[in-house]
Amino acid sequence: MRPLDETETSVVFEKLFKFVGNNLKNLVENPSHEGPDSNPGRYCFRLNKNKIYYCSESLVKRATNIARPNLVSLGTCIGKYTHGGNFHLTVQALNLLAANAKHKVWLKPQSEMSFLYGNHVLKSALGRITENIVSGDGVVVFSMSDVPLGFGVAAKSTQDCRKLDPNGIVVLHQGDIGEYLRIEDEL
Amino acid sequence: MGKKQKQQPKIVLPPELPPEIHDDEVEYSDDDVKFVNENREFASLISSLDTKSITKHVTRVADAKDDALEKLYEQRRMKKDAKKETEETGLQVDRVDALPVKSLDGEVYYRTATRTAPVNGPRKEETEEDDNEDKGFVKLTKAEKRAKLKKSRKEGKKQGKEVAKEEVEEAPQSTVLDEVKEDLKAEENFESKKCKLAELGNALITDPESNIKFLKDMVQLSKDKDLTIVKLGLLSLLAVFRDIIPGYRIRLPTEKEQEMKVSKTVRKMRFYESTLLSAYKAYLQRLIALEKLPSFQLVAVQCICSLLDKNPHFNFRETLLDVTVRNISSSNEAIRKFCCSTIKSLFTNEGKHGGEATVEAVRLISYQVKDHNCQLHPDSIEVFLSLSFDEDLARSEQMEKDKKFKDKKFGKKRKNTEASNQLPENDRKKSRQESISKTREEVEADYKAASFSLDVMEKRQMQTKTLSAMFEIYFRILKHTMQSIVVRPETNPGALSAAVGMEPHPLLDPCLKGLAKFSHLIDLDFLGDLMNHLKILAAGGSNLSNTLEKLPKCLTVSERLQCCIVAFKVMRTNLDALNVDLQDFTVHLYNLVLEYRPGRDQGEVLAEALKIMLCDDRQHDMQKAAAFIKRLATLSLSVGSADSMAALVTVKHLLLKNVKCRNLLENDTGGGSVSGTIPKYLPYSTDPNLSGALASVLWELSLLSKHYHPAISTMATGLSSMSTEQNQVFLSKSSPLLAFKDMSIDQELSFEQSGSIKLNNKRKRSHGNATSDSIGSTTVTSSFNEDDLRKKFSSHFMVLHDIKENERLRSKLDKTAKSLQLYEQYKIQKKKRSKPSK
Repeated sequence: MRPLDETETSVVFEKLFKFVGNNLKNLVENPSHEGPDSNPGRYCFRLNKNKIYYCSESLVKRATNIARPNLVSLGTCIGKYTHGGNFHLTVQALNLLAANAKHKVWLKPQSEMSFLYGNHVLKSALGRITENIVSGDGVVVFSMSDVPLGFGVAAKSTQDCRKLDPNGIVVLHQGDIGEYLRIEDEL
Repeated sequence: MGKKQKQQPKIVLPPELPPEIHDDEVEYSDDDVKFVNENREFASLISSLDTKSITKHVTRVADAKDDALEKLYEQRRMKKDAKKETEETGLQVDRVDALPVKSLDGEVYYRTATRTAPVNGPRKEETEEDDNEDKGFVKLTKAEKRAKLKKSRKEGKKQGKEVAKEEVEEAPQSTVLDEVKEDLKAEENFESKKCKLAELGNALITDPESNIKFLKDMVQLSKDKDLTIVKLGLLSLLAVFRDIIPGYRIRLPTEKEQEMKVSKTVRKMRFYESTLLSAYKAYLQRLIALEKLPSFQLVAVQCICSLLDKNPHFNFRETLLDVTVRNISSSNEAIRKFCCSTIKSLFTNEGKHGGEATVEAVRLISYQVKDHNCQLHPDSIEVFLSLSFDEDLARSEQMEKDKKFKDKKFGKKRKNTEASNQLPENDRKKSRQESISKTREEVEADYKAASFSLDVMEKRQMQTKTLSAMFEIYFRILKHTMQSIVVRPETNPGALSAAVGMEPHPLLDPCLKGLAKFSHLIDLDFLGDLMNHLKILAAGGSNLSNTLEKLPKCLTVSERLQCCIVAFKVMRTNLDALNVDLQDFTVHLYNLVLEYRPGRDQGEVLAEALKIMLCDDRQHDMQKAAAFIKRLATLSLSVGSADSMAALVTVKHLLLKNVKCRNLLENDTGGGSVSGTIPKYLPYSTDPNLSGALASVLWELSLLSKHYHPAISTMATGLSSMSTEQNQVFLSKSSPLLAFKDMSIDQELSFEQSGSIKLNNKRKRSHGNATSDSIGSTTVTSSFNEDDLRKKFSSHFMVLHDIKENERLRSKLDKTAKSLQLYEQYKIQKKKRSKPSK
């Protein structure tokens, strides 16, 4: 377990910024009430075996007691480095993203399942969409009853969505809560 | 008469003197009096007659003939003299004597003139007074004259006492007389011109065709020097033109047409039309010239507006429109109102001119806005609200097009088949068919030209033009406002930025209103830009205030609220298919609720925003809804009853829709599992999603249930009992806007009752006790309060006075101390100087 170096930090933050925008500040400055300290600590990012974790400082201190090869996980895993050296967000980051999301898409009930099986979001599945999404932005996908289902990348801007035909792809799938069942082993 | 007949046989005798009738007994007809007064020269001829010689002559002849007659004459003479004496004394009393007498044989005797001739002073006065009587309507001048006379007399006295008094009096009198005469002449002129105007106008209205020449005279009259005459002339011309202008546009005949022989009636008609047109033109030129003079502006604009209003189809409409639009943002309120109402009526009565004037007017206004850099009076843009666009036009047009297209297709096919069939037939038939179709087309074209109704296509084009011009104006205003906001942070703090920052946006409000009204007509392509602009405006420089200097925010809260409303309206009307969540605008609303001040900002706008953005919207995130519920409840604690009612109604709507938010009504803090990641309520957070409102409790409601206003307290108790009575179906009858309006009316009424706003608090308390006895009790409290206030004020002023006195004394003390010090220093220095010298 080690803190992120410069390039890693920038990569991670850029990725997160796509989803949460200026709320990134909230992620970093979020006070944690864990541990014996009376004054709340902060949350921080740690790298452990290709995976990036989001955990409170007190937890990090206590995790130092465990040897590196023995430490499996700490805090919340939010993403991992691929073999090619790219950073990917994983489904576990969903809660974090959903609370601070800037761009949101709500799915109609009948098309929720399709998304949870790992398909992209089509225009016909859109129940609602936030205004002024630009293509390439990170989007968090919700059910109509405001349950976060997953996240992805916008393929089309909100403006273009209006003229899109019903089968056009609006959001490219990146992660969904169905993965907890489908690829349980990898997580 | 009898006497005369008797004397007729004696032919030598000269004509007898008129019969002796006492002057008082003579009856003068009014006409005679008037005639003589008007033609005084005639009378003067008579007055200059030497009556003495005449009488002498008559008597002499009589003497020679008859003694009896002589006696008679002597007696008569005696009588006459006696009478003269008596009359001369009573002259001043009897004014009628000054008038001449018309004898039976038609001669006019100006008797009094001979009698009064020697007495100079009184005669003049008499004539003056006569004049006055003639002009009974000019009472004012009389008084003026008197004043003048007195004045001149005084001056004369001052000039020299040694000069004979009579002379002095006579000289100023004559000058005064001249002046008076001039005045009278002017009055007469004025009167006659007025009459003439009236006569001409009357003649024109009764029979315009035969009296059309009078128009020129009237136009001439209106070029008079006199201000009032010009105004009267303009107005009477206006009345005439309004009446006689035909319901069609006049086209002057070309030269070719003039050369052609025409019937008498046609010629007459042409003459009539051309005269009318030329007179109208002259009139308009005069109006436009006068419009630039400040003293005539109101009248000229009034004339122009009412002409345009009545006859928008007639010639020279462009000039009229031009002037009207130029004055639409005039600083004079009356002129502005005239222009605005005219343009509005142009927009609403499009049938009169077929929409062309609308297009022109909108275009002219857009130029105006451009030229003035968006610094106009809001009225000039508000007129667009009365525009109306026919939405069915587009649809029907589309249908027709489709049909035509289909017909064409089918027709072509049919024709082809027909042609192929008819090929072998002879050419004669073909040519006949062609000619028939040709004539049919011609007839159709003629019919179209003749029929008054416009082609749908044309109408549509016109509307498109109007619409594009209007939106151009709106976008220009938005852009201008944007620039003035955005430019600010870029320029360094200095004169320029301050100037830009101070620039007000008078047109933004009506512009936003218009955008909201016509939001369904905005093209989708513009929508993105429009939303971006609105978003920046709704932010209203709040994010800019963090920069170096804290400038006053350039957009008011109500304007920013309106931006949000417009955005929501635009989105709602345009997008049935796609449900777009306007998160940014809701965030702005969330923050604006805090900035809202009941006195400064328009409560109605807030209520409308709450209705449109929170009540009408179908879904909300739970977090957002909770945040709004909490914030609105807080707001309703600190504002007036109308505003808080609107807020509470919104809270109710939100609670009804979001069942989970009823956790707020429970009595334990923390919110449990639903509170999400934020464990604590942050009252000042800017994002409703991150406020953590679910962790809080709606304690405001229990305070509000003790509100002085009964409606609010019942509302609050109803809300707080919502969680327990879950089975009950809540019917939300009212929208926040309605509630606000009801309450504000209520408030106004109660304000009227109490009469004074100052004593608001006292009044409220009395309301809480009993609403019925408000009138009596408040008057008592007010009087009591005044006494109280007076006492307090007096004590306060006493303290102030003491403080001032103290300061004054202290400064005096300081001064004396200083002077003492100076003196001592001076002494020391003196000593020092004296020492070395020693």
